[in-house]
Amino acid sequence: MPEFIPPNFNPVDYAVPGFILLIIIEMLWARRRAPEKYEPRDTLTSLALGTGSTIAGALTGGFIFALLIWAHQHRLFDIGWSWWAWTLCFMLDDLAYYWFHRMAHRVRWFWASHVNHHSSQHYNLSTALRQTWTGFIAASFIFRLPLALIGFPTAMILICGAFNLIYQFWFHTEAIDRMPRWFEAVMNTPSHHRVHHATNPVYLDRNYAGVFIIWDKIFGTFQPELGNERIRYGIVKQIGSFNLLWSVFHEWIGIAQDVRAAPWRHKFAYMWREPGWSHDGSRDTSDTIRARWAERQSVSSPD
Amino acid sequence: MSEALIAQLLQLGGSIMAILALWLLAIKLGLGGDVRIRDDDHARQLAEDALHGFTAEELVIDRAGMGALLRDAAGRVMLVRRHGGQFAARLLDSHSFARLDRNFLTIANGEKHFGAFTLDLGDNAQVWASSLRRLGG
Repeated sequence: MPEFIPPNFNPVDYAVPGFILLIIIEMLWARRRAPEKYEPRDTLTSLALGTGSTIAGALTGGFIFALLIWAHQHRLFDIGWSWWAWTLCFMLDDLAYYWFHRMAHRVRWFWASHVNHHSSQHYNLSTALRQTWTGFIAASFIFRLPLALIGFPTAMILICGAFNLIYQFWFHTEAIDRMPRWFEAVMNTPSHHRVHHATNPVYLDRNYAGVFIIWDKIFGTFQPELGNERIRYGIVKQIGSFNLLWSVFHEWIGIAQDVRAAPWRHKFAYMWREPGWSHDGSRDTSDTIRARWAERQSVSSPD
Repeated sequence: MSEALIAQLLQLGGSIMAILALWLLAIKLGLGGDVRIRDDDHARQLAEDALHGFTAEELVIDRAGMGALLRDAAGRVMLVRRHGGQFAARLLDSHSFARLDRNFLTIANGEKHFGAFTLDLGDNAQVWASSLRRLGG
């Protein structure tokens, strides 16, 4: 590892004071403009989820680091620490994040880990810190393995991932409307990510990007924010509780209950199919909700 | 105890202090507001938000605007109740429980963490309590 990187360097540690300062500034903005944008108990839950996530990360980080080291030993190329390697690694890590994030919404096993980032009905900077405790159980680290197999150094992958996470903090806000057009065209922004957190049928399962919104445009999941659509945040079936442990584990418990109750040939599907899927079709998925919405739209405006 | 572990524990302690400070600041600033169901249209909108395509034919709103019960043409009944600065809703089914106490109707849907909710429905309480009993089949 090059000398300019301190041992155990984690950029997120240095960013945390900035996160707190920005949350305070946004709270002061909310007091003047829209007090309902924050809810103290919701904020407490979000921040506790963030802290718990760092503990979970500390407990499991060693295994993930070792796994990346192992993968790097079987690398295809010897990629050093040159500037272009950093740039390429950051871009590819963001691409890996896009696919991780898409799977986190389309496969219930991954969703069970990711859902607590979405279970707040508010959208503010504290929501950004609502991170998972169970990412290790969901095995979401597998999406970074290809980078190590290509040959990017392990520390480079982890540092790029940390900067990716830091970038994603600032756009969890309603205080910023739109960024300049050139920026909105390339980068993920508050407007694009509000769409991602919305439960409106037109917005469901859209804008998975981390840093660069171009991935959604390339892979057909981009949806711009519409001026006439009032956004509703949260999840399709709102959790209706501020209980911290329920927020962390409710979808895992739901999977366990469904797997136990399902006929044998459907048990596995309750883990790998999309959230809301059921073998008897009695529940809504984002696809069925969107289809129902589209049908109603076509009836109300046949042109 | 190693220095690294002590540093991590100090970091954790600092995080917990910061969390509590931000929570207290949010309370001190009066954030969260006091959301209530304003009228029938608002209740209908909340139900439609909770379940796309749910069109209420009948409804009753808690006298303080803290919640509402709505029924659609298919006979489905939805409970909408305040949750912090927002609202959350559930369709009621045969697992739901309703208890009438004069003007107050307490409803639980069987989900422990969603909790029981008491609505002050005035003279409508008895009528809705009777109709909810029919959900049990």
